[in-house]
Amino acid sequence: MSDRLAGFAFFLLATGYVWLSAGYTTSFGDPLGPAIFPRIIGIPAILLSLSLVIWPRHNATWAGPAGLMRQGVAVAILLAYALLLEPVGFVPMTFIAVLGLGLLMGAPPLPGLLVAVVAAPGLYLLFDRLMGLPLPLLGTWIS
Amino acid sequence: METLSLLWDGFAVAALPINLLLIVVGCFAGTLIGALPGLGPVNGVAILIPLTFAFGLDATSSLILLSAVYYGCMYGGRISAILLNIPGDEPAIMTTLDGYPMAKQGQAADALAISGVASFIGATLATIGLTLFAPMLAKAAIYFGPADYFALYVMAFATIGGITGADPRKTLLAALLGLMLGTVGLDPSTGVARYTFGSFNLYDGFDPIVALVGLFAISEILFFLEEKAHGGSMVPPGRVFPRLTRVKEGLGASLRGSLIGFIAGILPGAGASLGAVMSYSFEKRISDKKGTFGHGDPRGVAAPEAGNNAASGGALIPMLTLGVPGSGTTAVMLAMLISLNIQPGPLLFERSPDLVWGLVAALYLANFTLLILNLPLIGMFTRVLGLPAWGLMPLVVAISYLGVYAITHAAFDLLIMVGFGILGYVLRKLDFSLVPIVLGLLLGMDMENNLRRALSISGGDFTVLVQSPIALFIYALTAAFLALSLWLARRGVVAPLHAEQAED
Repeated sequence: MSDRLAGFAFFLLATGYVWLSAGYTTSFGDPLGPAIFPRIIGIPAILLSLSLVIWPRHNATWAGPAGLMRQGVAVAILLAYALLLEPVGFVPMTFIAVLGLGLLMGAPPLPGLLVAVVAAPGLYLLFDRLMGLPLPLLGTWIS
Repeated sequence: METLSLLWDGFAVAALPINLLLIVVGCFAGTLIGALPGLGPVNGVAILIPLTFAFGLDATSSLILLSAVYYGCMYGGRISAILLNIPGDEPAIMTTLDGYPMAKQGQAADALAISGVASFIGATLATIGLTLFAPMLAKAAIYFGPADYFALYVMAFATIGGITGADPRKTLLAALLGLMLGTVGLDPSTGVARYTFGSFNLYDGFDPIVALVGLFAISEILFFLEEKAHGGSMVPPGRVFPRLTRVKEGLGASLRGSLIGFIAGILPGAGASLGAVMSYSFEKRISDKKGTFGHGDPRGVAAPEAGNNAASGGALIPMLTLGVPGSGTTAVMLAMLISLNIQPGPLLFERSPDLVWGLVAALYLANFTLLILNLPLIGMFTRVLGLPAWGLMPLVVAISYLGVYAITHAAFDLLIMVGFGILGYVLRKLDFSLVPIVLGLLLGMDMENNLRRALSISGGDFTVLVQSPIALFIYALTAAFLALSLWLARRGVVAPLHAEQAED
């Protein structure tokens, strides 16, 4: 079943990809132009994805409900870490991310907190101060 | 003779204080990354690449660091394989078969010593092979024209799937997906913005480095969260000092394993896991007279370890001489070189002898460093295995973020990285291999440019692609590889490797 769905997703992607390539035209330049190469790779992708839909072979087993829950929370943490790194700053966001991910991975609360407390300023000192990579200590919202 | 004098010059480069420091740091970090279950060479190298950029290391030093990490991982993977029965990285899977039984019989020290020596033999022989064969291949490759390079890329994509044993349709689809992602951005020769959907952030396309860190580091985190409990119980080490007689038992197997692993490494897209699998199967077939394999036979520990280390040396050959990587990790290194505006390939040997020979010399030094780290100092690494994953994996995330942010200074790229992480996780669950995606993303632009050049020369006539004898030879070689892999699969030599595991 998962192969069928994957094949269908790839089919939509590749069809859209080839369809969009029609819009890329130039009147000058080389004999190939910007649209041919996308078709050279897009059309085989359409055929292969159809073959996956018709002859599926593999069925993926996904994580259980608890696992999916953990993954969902982790993705939320990762997105927040990316979006808020500049506004909130490296040290507070790293503290939150390391603590959150550590707890998700089964850290006991107190040692998990300890790792985050040490790691967030530690990584900042190591990479920004000692090795000279500019990182935002505190973000635009705070300082 | 010429090779020797070039190698001598290489040692002058490798012996610079900064490079010596990077060799030691890389070997140490590599052994550590290899030993930790869940992190393998490709993750380790992917995480370190943004840092090498951010620190402004030059190409030679960066490549030395990453290669030391790559070699180190191959040594380190065996430690948790033997002590925990959990391979530290995928190539070490075969080492669990005989290594863990040996440890359970109180011979952990012997098993670690045998595999350490086997790793050294494999890696050193492969480095000698690299010294001898790489310049020859580079000389031949100078005669390659655009059509021949196009053929070479076709070979890379065709063989990467044929040999790993997963569903070949998926491998091809993954490669095509990589190529599609590679076309996003401004078309270099006509200036048309393709697939950017009006976002200026996408005009430069996807930075392969950002994509790599997402695909290999972030997706690993999501994998890790599937299960709540991790880790096994560590076997008590038993006797402290290995016995020399046991180490000797593995020597023959190490030599045979090295040869097989080296060849497996050179094949484009095969990598170290295949080297280990083939070495073990071969050794079992010729040496397992009493049925001791699988119950703690030292030869069963030596052969796959020599094989995976030799394969990692062999995999550097096509990467350096042709610009076509032989494994996932070398694909990642290729991404770094391309981002530093260094195009690997035959001209690399002419234009940057310092880089090539400095790297080769550094690999010899790295091997001796690793031998010291992995025999007398092995206790240090076994203690690290006791550290809990919840303390280490979040730090991997933080280092990925700070590395990517330090090179791009754009929160947008962090989002792209997370996006690639989710994509990588889903694709691995669906049994798609990630290495072809990386290859496609990396080589796509070059493949299109070579096609363009070939067609410009011929005035738009597509038959130019099959007119050069070199291109025809490469297509024939591709067909031979595919036939060989089908034959191997049918004889059951190559157990299918699953894309779910971390690749090498």
